[in-house]
Order: sequence, then C-alpha cells, then structure tokens
Amino acid sequence: MVAADLRTVPPAYPAPVLAAAALTAQDVSFLLVGSAALWRHGEPVTVADTDAVIDPREPNLSRLGAALAAMARRPTAIPRVRDFPLLHLVRVGTCYGNIDCLLERGRLDWERLSGSSARVPVADVSVPVAALADTWALRRRFKRGAGQGSERG
Amino acid sequence: MSERSGVGLVELAILEALDALGAQPGQPYQPNAMVLAAVEDLIGLAPGYAYEVLLDLGRPWTMPVSLISPCGNFGSRGHDQAADFRYTESGLTQAGQVVLAAERGELAPVPVGLINGNTHRGGTRPPFRPQGIIEALRQVSWHCGLSDAELAALVGPPEFGNGCTVTGDFAALAAGRGTILRLEARVSVGEDSVVIENLPPNANPDDTAADIANRARPHDWASRYPALHQQALLPLKDLRDESRAATDTDRLVCVPKAGTSPDQLRDQLIDVYGVHTTVEVTLPQPLAVMLRGWVGAHQDEDLPASLASLQDAIP
Repeated sequence: MVAADLRTVPPAYPAPVLAAAALTAQDVSFLLVGSAALWRHGEPVTVADTDAVIDPREPNLSRLGAALAAMARRPTAIPRVRDFPLLHLVRVGTCYGNIDCLLERGRLDWERLSGSSARVPVADVSVPVAALADTWALRRRFKRGAGQGSERG
Repeated sequence: MSERSGVGLVELAILEALDALGAQPGQPYQPNAMVLAAVEDLIGLAPGYAYEVLLDLGRPWTMPVSLISPCGNFGSRGHDQAADFRYTESGLTQAGQVVLAAERGELAPVPVGLINGNTHRGGTRPPFRPQGIIEALRQVSWHCGLSDAELAALVGPPEFGNGCTVTGDFAALAAGRGTILRLEARVSVGEDSVVIENLPPNANPDDTAADIANRARPHDWASRYPALHQQALLPLKDLRDESRAATDTDRLVCVPKAGTSPDQLRDQLIDVYGVHTTVEVTLPQPLAVMLRGWVGAHQDEDLPASLASLQDAIP
C-alpha cells in the first residue's frame, strides 16, 4: 500500500462509505472503487452505492459471505459462497444501500490493484481504497461515457 | 418505440386491446384477462409478460402521464404484489386515448415518450414535467428563437413524481451527458419526532422502514470499532410506519433516543438509502436537440392541436 493524496476526514460519511467500513470491520479483504472511492479521493461525485473489488482468496470469500449475510435485507437471496469463484458480480441490498461485490475483477486484477491502493480512515476503521487513477480507469472501462470529470454512478 | 408517441410496442398493443374492448374513459372497466388475451392475439406476447407492462402503465408512481386507469390491486411500491390478472381490471385514460389517436394519424404526434422517460423500467431517460415539455415544444414549433438554455429552463428538472425532491447536475443532463440525480423524501422535524413522507418512487417503503430499524440495531463489531458504530448507528427510540398503501401515502414517524434532538436524527435519516435514492440518467442527445428534432420530424402536422389535446388529457 502506498500513500495517497486523500481529503481530510469529514465529520460524516455517506452510507456507501459506512458500508465499506462495516465490511472492513468484519475482516473482509477488498478494495473500494466506484463513486464511494472517488468521493473519498475528494472528487465531486454523488455517491451512489458501494463497489468493492474482492480479494479472491479463501478464507476471504467465506468471510465475505458471512458479512453480507449479516448486512443483507434478504440473506436468503445471496448466492452460495461456493459459487462466488464462478460469479462476475454479487449485488446485495443492505441498510446502507446496495453493495456490488466485483468478484471477477478481483480474480483478474487483485494483485495489481492492491499494490497501488491506500488505506484511509473512516471513523476508527481503516478502509482500503483503490488508487485514484485505477478507480477512474475502471469506470472508463465499465461505464459507457464515463470520463474523468463526468459524473457517473 | 413509436415515432408518433414514443410509446413502446407492448404498451401500444395494450392500449389497442383496451380500445377494441370498449374500455374508453367513462365506459366500464374491462377484465385484464380479456385485455391480455387480446394483446396475445395482436402481438403474440403471453399474458404473464404483458401483465407486467400493463401494471406499470396503470401505477400512478411510475410515470407522469398514466395511460391506463387501474381497478383492483395493482400492487404497491413495497412488498405487496399485484393481484393476478384474473382479478384486476383496466380502462383507458384520456391520455391513453390521445396516444391512440396520434398513432392512428387522427392527431399529430404527441411527446408521451419524451415526458415519461424510461427510468421506471431501468432505463436512463428520466421523466419530465408534462407541462414543461409541452410548452417547450410549442415554443420550438412557433419558431420563438429560444436558446438551448432557455428551452432547458422551460422544461425544468426531471420530475419523478410522489413529491420527492430532485437534485443533481441538471445542466449536464440537458447537455446530453450522464449524471446521477439524487431523489430525497420530505423530512420534517416535529417537537419530538422526525416525519418522513413522499419517499422517492424508486424506493421500497417497506424496505426503507426495515433499513431504518436495522440501522438502529447494535452491530457485533461495535466494541472493536466504537467510533464507526457511533457513525453508523441511528439514535432511534421508536419507529412507526403510518403509511397507507391504499392511497399510496408514505409516512414514517421516527422518535429519537434521549439525548438526541430531532434535528440531529433528521440529518442522519436523510442518508439512509430509501429516504434518498439515486438514479443514473442520460439523454440520447442534448435536450434542446431532442426537442427541436422532434418538432422538425413532424413539422408538417398540426402539432399545436395535438399538444393541446395531450395537455387537456392530463389531470
């Protein structure tokens, strides 16, 4: 992990950022990307949901399954943990809004993305956030028309 | 999507079926089983699939211009599902009739698709205030020389219904760029409680009430991360759901814990998903280009008359 130029810790956090902190508090290994990561980097975006690139190694997937079950509105709607290695994405509705777990991105890019990430404080939790350049690159790749400076979810 | 009304193929088939069955405004409703059988005859779509579209056309929270008048249980925004189509009925609204007249060439085209958008079905085109779109198209057809910015101002921001507040980068949207809009319920502070009303139409009121309650429950990691727990935990003593599904009225009454003022609780409640939601929106072209293009494509027809008919048909 390297240092990053991140905004001063604000007094309150959008719910998707709290969701990321709650995942961290439950020992899930992931990287925050998407609008919540951009917001935490100080970009002027509306935070829509929680996008997390998941560390693909076990036992992290089991911890993720348990954390999502504890946070989900409908735990029975979560896919089985043994299917996580086959899935592209798992979206779970929680009381903090939707959490999108980017499982395939983790399988493909975990080592590279985590190498340039930073840990940032959210209250007394240290949340791993992908580097700004990586976050924008992912958005440009997966969100049609999302360029740096244009606001997309 | 039809060139003359912007209404989709299945929607049009439903309107045609209702008209063929004699369900015009002022006439008796028709059983949806019969309507859907007629739709299947018209376009071959099975009743179970077409019913989902029919329900959307009749639900008052989905789009500004309702094309169907519902009778029976069309479901709620919460967990209450609609009754089976064998137990519900429908009729055409005045606006539905205007759409059919435009489709048949009895009237010039009408901009129902422009007004209703498609975000209610997961699309990215937002709904707009009917009067705003109609007036902007009038100005364009009269060659009033309004600038793009003046046209966008005339249309106004997207209007999602239900009385929720919409904020966001409207200039980006009008320019044809993607953006995220934030829809927020009306949250008012009383002497000893916070009242949440007019939830965004894409919020599930049942889920929102459950989420508020869940945010007030202690987490098992609370002792390890007390500061996060304090941020995440809602200081809530009591939650009463006084919503009325029959009238589609949202009302959640939240009572703060001792030591927390209603103002403090209000600030935290606003950030609960459901009390606010977000919608990703974009237009296929800049708004002014869309409006001018629509008028240009139909300038040989009597647009003032069809716009007046549509305006009269919207309650």
